[in-house]
Amino acid sequence: MTAAPTLSVRIREIEPLGASLKRFALEPAHGGELPTPAPGAHILLTLRDGGRVMKNAYSLVSPAAARDRYEIIVRRVAQSRGGSAFLHQQAREGDVIDIGYPVNLFPLQAKARKHLLIGGGIGITPLLSHLHLLKARGLKFEMHQLCAPEEAGVFEALLAPYGEAGEILVHGTGRARFDLAGILARQPLGTHVYTCGPRTLMEAVATTASALGWPAGKIHKESFGENSGGLPFKAMLARSGIEVEVGETQSLLEAVEAAGIDAPCLCRGGACGECKVSVLEGEVEHRDDFLSAEEKASQGAIMLCVSRARGARLVLDL
Amino acid sequence: MTDQGIKSRPRYQPLEIDPAGRHHLLVVPSEDVPSDAVAEGFAPSAFEVWTVVRKSALPPSAITEEAAGTVRAFRSPAHLFSALEERLARETMGLRLYAVGPEDFLWDVYGVGEKAGLSPQEMRFTHSGTKARRIFCVHCRAVTEKVTTSIVTCSGCGASLFVRDHFSRRLSAFMGVQVDAEAPGDVPAAEELYA
Amino acid sequence: MTLQFKPDETFRKDFTYRNSDAGILRFPFPFPEDEYMYSVNIEPHVRGGPTAAFQAAFDVDEHYVAECRERALVLAEDPKRCQVLPHMELAQWDTLELIMESLAADYPDLFSLSKDGDLWTWVNKPLSIQQTFTFGKADTLPCPPFEYITRQAQGDFTLQDQREDNLYVDGGMVTTQADWSLEFDIGMSFHEWHGPVPLAHEKGVFDRALKYLLRLQYGQPVRRLNWTMTINPRLDTSPENYPVWGPDRTTITPENVAEKVHLRVELQTLFRLPRSNAILFGIRCYLASVAELSRVPKWRKRLHRVLRDLHPAIQEYKGLPRYRQMVIDTLAPFDDGAPLSKGIQSDLTAL
Repeated sequence: MTAAPTLSVRIREIEPLGASLKRFALEPAHGGELPTPAPGAHILLTLRDGGRVMKNAYSLVSPAAARDRYEIIVRRVAQSRGGSAFLHQQAREGDVIDIGYPVNLFPLQAKARKHLLIGGGIGITPLLSHLHLLKARGLKFEMHQLCAPEEAGVFEALLAPYGEAGEILVHGTGRARFDLAGILARQPLGTHVYTCGPRTLMEAVATTASALGWPAGKIHKESFGENSGGLPFKAMLARSGIEVEVGETQSLLEAVEAAGIDAPCLCRGGACGECKVSVLEGEVEHRDDFLSAEEKASQGAIMLCVSRARGARLVLDL
Repeated sequence: MTDQGIKSRPRYQPLEIDPAGRHHLLVVPSEDVPSDAVAEGFAPSAFEVWTVVRKSALPPSAITEEAAGTVRAFRSPAHLFSALEERLARETMGLRLYAVGPEDFLWDVYGVGEKAGLSPQEMRFTHSGTKARRIFCVHCRAVTEKVTTSIVTCSGCGASLFVRDHFSRRLSAFMGVQVDAEAPGDVPAAEELYA
Repeated sequence: MTLQFKPDETFRKDFTYRNSDAGILRFPFPFPEDEYMYSVNIEPHVRGGPTAAFQAAFDVDEHYVAECRERALVLAEDPKRCQVLPHMELAQWDTLELIMESLAADYPDLFSLSKDGDLWTWVNKPLSIQQTFTFGKADTLPCPPFEYITRQAQGDFTLQDQREDNLYVDGGMVTTQADWSLEFDIGMSFHEWHGPVPLAHEKGVFDRALKYLLRLQYGQPVRRLNWTMTINPRLDTSPENYPVWGPDRTTITPENVAEKVHLRVELQTLFRLPRSNAILFGIRCYLASVAELSRVPKWRKRLHRVLRDLHPAIQEYKGLPRYRQMVIDTLAPFDDGAPLSKGIQSDLTAL
C-alpha cells in the first residue's frame, strides 16, 4: 500500500498511572477532528531525539467516539529501543509529534456471540478500546487481566468503568494460578478470544484454545503487523543510469518515484502486476501476490511496490 | 452432471472426522449413515449420531448427553432441527457439526449451525443421495423443491426457470432465472440432469 | 462549477436521461487500452484522475436528484433491495459517518454536517433534507442509518464483513445493479458472490484481489472501473426484474442502436471502515449512450476495438450477443485504425 497519511498532533496531557506507566493524550496540532479511532487499532509515533528518529507503535485506548484526542498508555521498558524512554523522560506537554493513521489488525469480530479478552500487563491497552465498544453496545464479554501483584491496583482502576457491563477479573497472582484451560473450555459456541500481552501468554492462549477445539478464525492475537519496510539497500536503474537509495521505511517504488522516475504502478499493494520490472542483478525478497512461485524462484523480476532486495544492491531494467 | 463453471456451487468431500474438534455431532436425514459417503477409516463410534426414522410413534429421548458413540433417532428432519437448535444453544467451544445427506438438508443444517455461532471451519458436509435441487426463483422468491431438470416451471410465478449453478448457502438453494425473459416463449427442452 | 441538477429525468418508461456536454467529458470511460480482459485493475482512490468523476470520495453529478428519486421508486416496489444482516450495525454507522463527512467536505455548497457531541445535524440542500439525530441511536433517524444515507447517494453500496481471512457481503443498498441480486447473494463469501464471473477465477484475479482487499487500510481507499452495456438508460437492471427489461435487448435496430445502447460503467470504490473493520464497497453507475460517447473521437474508436475483439465468454456473461455486432457496425466507419493514447482520458477540453 501507499504510505499512510501522516497526522500532526500535540501532546495535550501526560498523566502518570503507576511506577512505569504514563497516559498520553494527543490532540490535533492544527485543530479539527482526528480520524475515527478503530477499537483495537494502533498508531505509529515518529519521535525525534536530536538527529535520531524512532518509530514506535502504541494501541489507542480512547473510545471511537472521541475525535478530539487520541490516548495511549506507554510503559517504560528497561531494554527500550529508546521510544518509551524518550516518551517517559523527554516528551513534554505541548510538544508536537507526527503519528500515522490508525491501523487496525486486532478488530472485534462482528459475528461473535461473546467476546473473551485476555490481557497480560501492558497488553491491556488494545483491550481497553475493545471494552469501550463492548460496553457501549451492550455486548456480552468476559475479561481477564494478568499482572504483577504490585500493579493490580493500577489495572483494576483502568478496568473499573467497565465492571458493571460484564465479568472482569484482575489476576495479580501470576500465570500459575490462572486456570486458562478451564476458562476456555467453558465458553459457549460462537465465542471469540482476543489476547494481548507477552508473547508467551499469547502463545499459551492460542495453543490451549486450539487444543480445546477452537477454530483458528476465533483466536485473535494482537500484532502490530509485519514491518512493511526492511533493511536499506541500493537499486541501480540501468536504463536511467541512476542509483537510488531505498530507506528502511520506504518502498522501492517510493524511492524510484522520489528520484523522479515515472515507474509503472497501479494498486501499490503487490496484486495487480503493473509495476513488474526485470531484475538484471541481485537477489529479490518477494512480498507480492502476483508472481508465480516459479517466477519468484527464477529471480527474473520484481514488483516495485512491495518487494525488496535480499542483499545490499539490485540492478533493474528501468 | 454438467458444470456451468460457477464457483459458488459447493464441492463435497467424503465424511471424515476433524481431529481438531473436541466433540463431534453428526446428523443424517436417514436411519443410518450412508456408507458410500464416508472416507476410508471412518469410525462412527467417534461421533454422536442423530438420525431420522420418519415415525411418529418414536419415544422421545434426552438431547443433552453428548457421549461419542450414542445414536439418537428423531421423527422427522424438522424434529431433528428443532432439537439441534436447543442443543447448540447449550454447547461449548470445541464442537464440530457434521451432516450427510441431500444438498438442501445439508445447507438447512448449516443455517442452524450458523445461527448458533458456528463458523464454516466448525462444520463439515458431505453430499449423499438424490442430486435433486431446491430452486429459488430470483423473480418471485418462491422455492421449488426436488428439481431434477435443467429447466423447471416456477411453483410461484409460473416462469420457465433455467437452473443456474449459482448457490446460496443462506437460502440453501440454487438460483432460477427465467430462460425466455428476452424472447418470451423461446424455451429450450428441459434435460434431466439432477436425478 | 455549479451543478445544474436535472431532477425530472427518468430511468424507466420514457427514459429522458441524457448527459450534458460536460457530463459526457467527465464520463469515466473504462478502457485504457484497445483490448479488454479481466485484471486486478485496482488503484488508490485519490482525488484527481483522468476525468472529473474522480475528484471526490463520492462523486455527485447532474443526475444526483433524479437518481435518488429512482432509488426511492425501486425501494417502494421492493424494500429488500436494501438489507443489512444484524451483525453489521456498527458498519451502518461507519457508512453514515463516512458518506456524510465526505459529502460535506467535498461539496460544502450542497451538504453540511454539524456536530454537538453525539447530536448531529445533517443538511442536504439538493434533496431539501434537514435532520438532527443522535449518532449511534437508530431510532433518532427515520430509517436505519445505512439505508438513510445511501438513499441520499448515487450508486449502489455493499458492506463486507471480514472474518476467517475472507470477505462476506453482509449488507447492501442495491437498486442500480448490473444483473446481480442482493437478496440471493447476501451472506456470500468473496469467491461465492463472484462465482458467476467467467475466466477471471482461472486467471487468479479473485485470489489476488481478495488478498489485497484483506489488507485494505483505513484512510487509504482504493478504486477500480468495471463495465457492461444496457439497453436504454435503465439503472435497475436487476435479475429480479429481468423479465421486465430483458426484452429490450431484442429491440435494437441499426437505426436506433446508437441512441438505445448505453455503455454502463461502474466506478467501484472500497473503504475500510473504522469501528466495524468492515469494507464499504461503492458501485457508482454511469450511463452514456453510444451516440454520446461517439462525440469523443478517441472513445468511439476504442470502444469499437474493444467490442470487436472481446472474448466470447465475456460477451455472453455481459449479455451482449444480440446487439454487439450492430454496435460494432455503427462505430466501424469512424475508426481509422490510428493508434490511440494509453489511458482513459478523452484528450479533449470541450465538445
